[in-house]
Amino acid sequence: MKLTRRLTLAAFAGALSMSVAMPAFAADLIAIITPSHDNPFFKAEAVGAEAKAKELGYETLVLVHDDDANKQSQLIDTAIGRGAKAIILDNAGSEASIAAVQKAKDAGVPSFLIDREINATGVAVSQIVSNNYQGAQLGAEEFVKLMGEAGSYVELLGREADLNAGIRSKGYHDIIDEYPEMKMVAQQSANWSQTEGYSKMETILQANPDIKGVISGNDTMAMGAIAALQAAGRKDVIVVGFDGSNDVRDSITSGGIKATVLQPAYAQAQMAVEQADVYIKTGKGPAEEKQLMDCVLINGENAAKLETFALTN
Amino acid sequence: MSTFRAAALFTLAIALALPGCKIVKTPTAEEAAEEASGGFNPARQVAGLWDEKVIPFLDKRAGTFQEVSSLAKSDLDAAAAKYGHKEKEGSAPWTFVAKVSGTIIKAETKSRAAYLETDVDGDGKGDVRIQIGPVIKGTALRDSLDFVNFNEFKNQIQWAEFGKAFNTHVIGLTLDKLPREGMEGKAIEATGAYPLPSAGQPALFTPATITIGG
Repeated sequence: MKLTRRLTLAAFAGALSMSVAMPAFAADLIAIITPSHDNPFFKAEAVGAEAKAKELGYETLVLVHDDDANKQSQLIDTAIGRGAKAIILDNAGSEASIAAVQKAKDAGVPSFLIDREINATGVAVSQIVSNNYQGAQLGAEEFVKLMGEAGSYVELLGREADLNAGIRSKGYHDIIDEYPEMKMVAQQSANWSQTEGYSKMETILQANPDIKGVISGNDTMAMGAIAALQAAGRKDVIVVGFDGSNDVRDSITSGGIKATVLQPAYAQAQMAVEQADVYIKTGKGPAEEKQLMDCVLINGENAAKLETFALTN
Repeated sequence: MSTFRAAALFTLAIALALPGCKIVKTPTAEEAAEEASGGFNPARQVAGLWDEKVIPFLDKRAGTFQEVSSLAKSDLDAAAAKYGHKEKEGSAPWTFVAKVSGTIIKAETKSRAAYLETDVDGDGKGDVRIQIGPVIKGTALRDSLDFVNFNEFKNQIQWAEFGKAFNTHVIGLTLDKLPREGMEGKAIEATGAYPLPSAGQPALFTPATITIGG
């Protein structure tokens, strides 16, 4: 049954490739679909995946869905139409993406998810995600320590449709809320965006000039917040981010942001391509579909060793 | 529809509805959360597993802290096979099950992430930090068990809630009742778990059972 479907699909893909006059011995194609590369985190994923795919002899098709589930659905169609052998996907929403990944599976194209999980198993072959809860706890423990276990603070949340926004916030609060003298005076979403991080921080600061700290769901919002704080002359406010970007590394080493949490984005993307390669060649998936990658706390002690979402020794 | 018929129907509706009447108690926050997440109740799940599976598993799996930590240093694979557990894929460190038997040399109780620095080999130096809450770092108890698996949970959020429920359970069961003063010099026995510490870091141990003597 499955074989018949594969054969039909292969015939279909063959016909398709002939009709667009693909070279006869073109290498197999891997599609790499992520959110916008404006955020260096997603760029590192795409670059990491592409490098590994080329190293293993694949052609690549690098696309961005801009966190738009409709656009993601069209890109999946494109990948299927181009006869991709696998899709590496950082998806556009944990619920909305299930159908898109299912569509690829039905067309015989396996998906390997990175960074964000979907609320379903058995649809993708792999879901390799950062252990956001473990990472958020590390960030929160450092934040509480820097705050002296007391004081008013602000939380900047990520985009609501993204499960990672919720899990990081949960990880933060499971630690911070255990300290009765830590008081959250504002909690707002800045949608992972640096410009929104800046404008939200500006407004919050006007209403709450007495804040002592800001904990942010990612690094780009943290960069926006620190810029707004510095513009207002508030160099005393403690800012903690999440991702481990080079921008935040530079801010830490120059005395701006105090800490962040490294997600191994580059390694994660490469691992997904390796698993895709094994699957394409042998039909074998990993032992477990959902795979958690531990995060690492980055502060003044180890920031200098950080480069493109990886720690050097 | 005439007013009379409407009234009659209304009466009939009440008459029909009454036998099915029951007193519904206002759901607690926990029950409301369970309802919202489609029947997921980590606190109840952990309470149900605790005596029947968790404690027997830890008792059977544990080596003395000295055995476990020295084997982990000399032969990590052997230590992992005997005392360790981690998810099959991913990059989490091994979590080891151990029994600590020693003397408290320092009680860090100023922070809410309180711990007891414990000497197990009688050299007067701390070998392991036993967390006593109310803030417990990490999810070592969950991570030490070979019969629970992230892939059986809907997503990271539920897996995280499940992990925290172990900590909350042990806090309510024993850690909350421990004294916070005059702990130094006392004997301590604990069974629990700790993740392989990174180089140069002390082992951070989460107890499942703990007894503090004189």
